[in-house]
Amino acid sequence: MALLHKLLNGTNFPKLCRVQDAARCFLLGPVFAGCPSRLYSSIKKTEAASGRSSPEGKTQSSLEKHTKGEVGLDLISPMEKVEIIFDKAIKAEIKDHFKLLAKELVDCWRGPEGRPLYEGLLENTRVMWQFRSDEDLDKWLVTSDRTIGGKSKAFLKMASNNQSALFYGILNTELPRDGVTQQSGYCAMTSRIPRGAFERKKYYDWSSFNTLYLRVRGDGRPWMVNIKTDTDLIQKNQHLHSYFMFTRGGPYWQEVKIPFSKFFFSSKGRIQDNQQQLLKDRISSIGFTLADKVNGPFYLELDFIGVFHDPTHTEEFAYENSKKIFGNR
Amino acid sequence: MNCIRRAILALDYSMGHHFLSRAAPGHSPWQPEGSCLLQGRSQFPRGFHSSAARLTSDSEQVPMVKPPTVSMKALEPYEDFFEQASGGQRDKTGFSRAVKAFAQRDMRKRGHVDFIYLALRKMPEYGVQHDLAIYNLLLDIFPKEVFVPRNMLQQIFNHYPRQQECGVKVLDQMENYGVMPNKETEFLLLQIFGRKSHPMLKYLRLIYWLPRFKNINPFPVPRPLPKDPIDLARHGLERIAADLSARVTVYQMPRPEDLGANPSQPHIVGIQSPDQQAALAQHNPARPVFVEGPFPLWLRDQCLYYHVLRADLLPPEERQEDKEIGPERNFYYPMQLDSDLDQGPWDDYEFDVDEVEEGPVFAMCMAGAHDQATLAKWIQGLQITNPALANIPVVFRLGAVGGELQLSEHQEGQGQHTREQEEQVSLKEEEKEPSQTQIQHQGQS
Repeated sequence: MALLHKLLNGTNFPKLCRVQDAARCFLLGPVFAGCPSRLYSSIKKTEAASGRSSPEGKTQSSLEKHTKGEVGLDLISPMEKVEIIFDKAIKAEIKDHFKLLAKELVDCWRGPEGRPLYEGLLENTRVMWQFRSDEDLDKWLVTSDRTIGGKSKAFLKMASNNQSALFYGILNTELPRDGVTQQSGYCAMTSRIPRGAFERKKYYDWSSFNTLYLRVRGDGRPWMVNIKTDTDLIQKNQHLHSYFMFTRGGPYWQEVKIPFSKFFFSSKGRIQDNQQQLLKDRISSIGFTLADKVNGPFYLELDFIGVFHDPTHTEEFAYENSKKIFGNR
Repeated sequence: MNCIRRAILALDYSMGHHFLSRAAPGHSPWQPEGSCLLQGRSQFPRGFHSSAARLTSDSEQVPMVKPPTVSMKALEPYEDFFEQASGGQRDKTGFSRAVKAFAQRDMRKRGHVDFIYLALRKMPEYGVQHDLAIYNLLLDIFPKEVFVPRNMLQQIFNHYPRQQECGVKVLDQMENYGVMPNKETEFLLLQIFGRKSHPMLKYLRLIYWLPRFKNINPFPVPRPLPKDPIDLARHGLERIAADLSARVTVYQMPRPEDLGANPSQPHIVGIQSPDQQAALAQHNPARPVFVEGPFPLWLRDQCLYYHVLRADLLPPEERQEDKEIGPERNFYYPMQLDSDLDQGPWDDYEFDVDEVEEGPVFAMCMAGAHDQATLAKWIQGLQITNPALANIPVVFRLGAVGGELQLSEHQEGQGQHTREQEEQVSLKEEEKEPSQTQIQHQGQS
């Protein structure tokens, strides 16, 4: 890409100017849409720099304008005098990834997940997600039935005391007018899948814990806690393990403990007959869904989400496969 | 000539046998006459007509089962019948009367699938969506023993798929509303669809899963919810107080005529636990306490609003450390245990997070109106049991109902709105200062 840009940006070919404009429009348009913020910042910087530059730049731009007038094409002129330094952006990106890769390699030597072995063996609790700053919110995705044309609204922000996250919005069960959808009305927040160097998918290993721990404050509505396991098969991306979380409401914080053995297996929102245990060593993400079919505002305040080992809980899996159902299938 | 005749014959066959038998009763198409071709041609339209007429009459005899239409505006079949049969009553008796009228109308139960889909959609309108007896009544409409597969082949292929789909839909709605099927449902399904059928499988799934999730709510909500606002407020307050020793006090009863939208004397119900009372007694009178709210509390589909009386968090230098319990407090056994005797590094069950620190809550209330005058009455009532409150300035920080949540409707100007509201609140606080002093004076006098 950088090479291409160098080619495009070459000022040695004045006759190629309109080609250059057109190419900028069509080739770089989508690039602008998808490029990271770092790239934007470099654009701004170069803009400022060119503003202060010598009159040569001005003549160059006037030349470009002139040629445009001659050609008279119906092209929407892209940002004039914009120089995008792809080299810089890409170099920085690659540098970050290599740094991450080096860290991962070094961590392997230090122990599992970059910590000494005895720490991992002795730990009974681990805080997975906590909400103390805006960076913590970037690890979460908020979705609602707007994706299917519904009318719910959901937002995630830091609460007023800046020590917890507030997930709030309005649930609306009005059906989208597509003539197909039978039910609507959900709001959800999901944690982003952890990524390693070069955007490799990673997963959490919770095999030494057996209970999920949440410190929340709600408004009395029931929620669903969904855990997604990382599987390489395409067909399994609709698979979830879910359980319910009931909020008390009121001004006090509430501690919710859900053993992993209670999570039941569902696919595309339907409970499956063939129940299987949650794979605790390949956890990809966790999510909270509200879909209690009650129209109105809601909120859920989250302090932190952790996992811990409860030695009194020995249950492996709470659901057995029913012989009656399998006999009737 | 011969080949033309054969071609016509082939056409005849393709049209169907009835043309041969009906269209030309006088002439046999096999007649080796020259006029045969012409006659045959002239008779084609008649053949078409008769067959078309037969098709329409067939469609009248066998009811076409239409898939359920999603649009609510379209007039459904049997909608008028349902309205008439229910006699205008929008309750359980009206609904069951309509269903029974349909069941007795016709021995062959013509159009029952359409009717069941319509009835399922009408259930919330009549308020019977949580009633098991009504679901059983609906399943009872299906003709018995007609849809039961009789051999292996019928069992393997979907036997009467539309009817089975409809049966599954009834059970699906039961699942959605959390209604547990019973033995009667099973018996009905056995009679209608047989053991090996999709509705029966759905029934088994319901029977397996619903009891497992029936009682998992640690904060149960009664069904039906109490109608009386005071009972409802009492239940809500006991739920959010999370303290069994907390005592509910009704500060103001509503007048019977005030149960409408804008009551002149709204109900005020408050809750306070002995611990909160003690904390309020120890509160430094130099620091104000705040009445905040309204905050929403959802009890199933009903939203209640509550207010809290709370104080800000003390700055760290003013915080009193817990009074140390001296060894002389108790001569018989130690008041503190040195409990980390048998603990190793593997016995650490604490989460490594910073505690969220918030000011203490002193009392909570639910009122019929969310204005300052009503809440001032609550504070007055609290002063009887908490004499210390008379000396503490009370600041009202009241937002609109929904508060922060309503702002989300104006997504674009969100930042501006919050700023405006904060300003309003601060203005309100300033305005309210004199009224607090009034309240205090009233309390003292």
